[in-house]
Amino acid sequence: MKLFLGITSLFSFLLITSFTNFLPKKTVEKTVNDFSLKNTDGKFVSLKEYPNAKGFMIVFTCNHCPFAKLYPERLNALNEKYAAIGVALIAISSTDTIQYETDSYLNMVEKAQNEKFNFPYLYDGSQKVAKQFKADKTPHAYLIWKENNKWVVKYNGAIDDNGAEPDKVQNPYLSLAVEAQLKGNSPQIAETKSIGCQIHFRK
Amino acid sequence: MFFSAAIFSCADIAHAQSNIEIVDFNKLQQVFLNKSDTTYYINFFASWCAPCIKELPDFELFAKEQSNQKVKVIYVSLDMVNTYQQSLVPLVNNLKLTQKIYLLNESDPNNWMNKINKEWSGAIPATLIVNQQKKYNKFISNSLSNSTLKKYLP
Repeated sequence: MKLFLGITSLFSFLLITSFTNFLPKKTVEKTVNDFSLKNTDGKFVSLKEYPNAKGFMIVFTCNHCPFAKLYPERLNALNEKYAAIGVALIAISSTDTIQYETDSYLNMVEKAQNEKFNFPYLYDGSQKVAKQFKADKTPHAYLIWKENNKWVVKYNGAIDDNGAEPDKVQNPYLSLAVEAQLKGNSPQIAETKSIGCQIHFRK
Repeated sequence: MFFSAAIFSCADIAHAQSNIEIVDFNKLQQVFLNKSDTTYYINFFASWCAPCIKELPDFELFAKEQSNQKVKVIYVSLDMVNTYQQSLVPLVNNLKLTQKIYLLNESDPNNWMNKINKEWSGAIPATLIVNQQKKYNKFISNSLSNSTLKKYLP
C-alpha cells in the first residue's frame, strides 16, 4: 500500500512537473530602453553611466502630488541603502508642467535642494520615458534589472503599503523586490496597485 | 474628559455638515452589494485629484436627474484619513455635494482594489457601476460626463 502510494505520488509529481514545463510563463517580462534626461544639477543622466549597476529603482514622482510628498525621506533611505551595492534610485518627474506649474524644472531644482535628495531627480518634459515605462501615476515605482545587457522590469507598483504612516508599513514592496533580486530570485510580488496622482499625458 | 468630549462633538459636526462617513472596505461593500434592484454609481475620487474634482458636478447633476429612478450615486474618497478635515471637508462644502461620501480607511490598496476590478491600477478618477439584481457590473477607469453617465445605465 505504502509502495503503491509512493509510486502514484511519484508519478503525479512527474506528471505535474512535466505538465508545468509546457505552460507558458505567466507574464512576458517587459524590457525598457535607456534614456537621457536632465537632472536638477543641469547634467544629463542615463543608465549607461552606471557601469557597475545591477539594477535601478526608478520612481516616477513629482512636486505637486500629496501622495508623492509623503515619500522623499523614504526615497533617500532606499538610495542610501542600495546605491552602493549596485541598485541606485532615480526619480523622474513626467507631469504635464502646463497643468501643474509647481512641477516646472526650476521648482524641481528647488525641491531637490530643500528635501536634500541624495538621488537624481530627472525632468521628463516630453513624457516619453513615462510612456515607455507605462507609468500612469505618481508615485509609481519600478525595479529594473540588467539581464543580457537589457533592462528587464522586475517590479512595478507601490513603494510600500502605507503612504500616510511610514511607521506602520508592513510590506516595503520595492525594497522586498530589490532584496529578492540581489539573492538571485524573482520578486514574490512583482506588481502591486498604488494610489497616486494620474500623470496627465499631453495629446 | 471634557476635552475629549469637545473633540468628539466637533468631529460630529464636521461629519453632519459634509455628509462624510469613514468606513473600511467591508463596510463599503455592504452598501452596494445588496440584492435590491438599485443601480449604484460608485465614484472613486480624492480632493488632490484635479480630473476627479472636474467631474463631480456632473455626478451631482446626474444624481438629481435620476432621483425618481432606482439609481444612486455614491462617492468614495481616497483622501488620507489623518488630514481629511483640511483637504476633503472644504472641497465637499465648496462643491455642495449632496450625495453620500464614504472616506475609505484602508492603507494598502492591494487589500481591496482587486475586489472592485482586477484591471484597476489605482489611478483615479474611476467609477464602478453595479446592479446586483440585474447582475450588471461595469468599471470605468476614466473621466465621465453627465451624458456618458446615462449611457451606462443597465
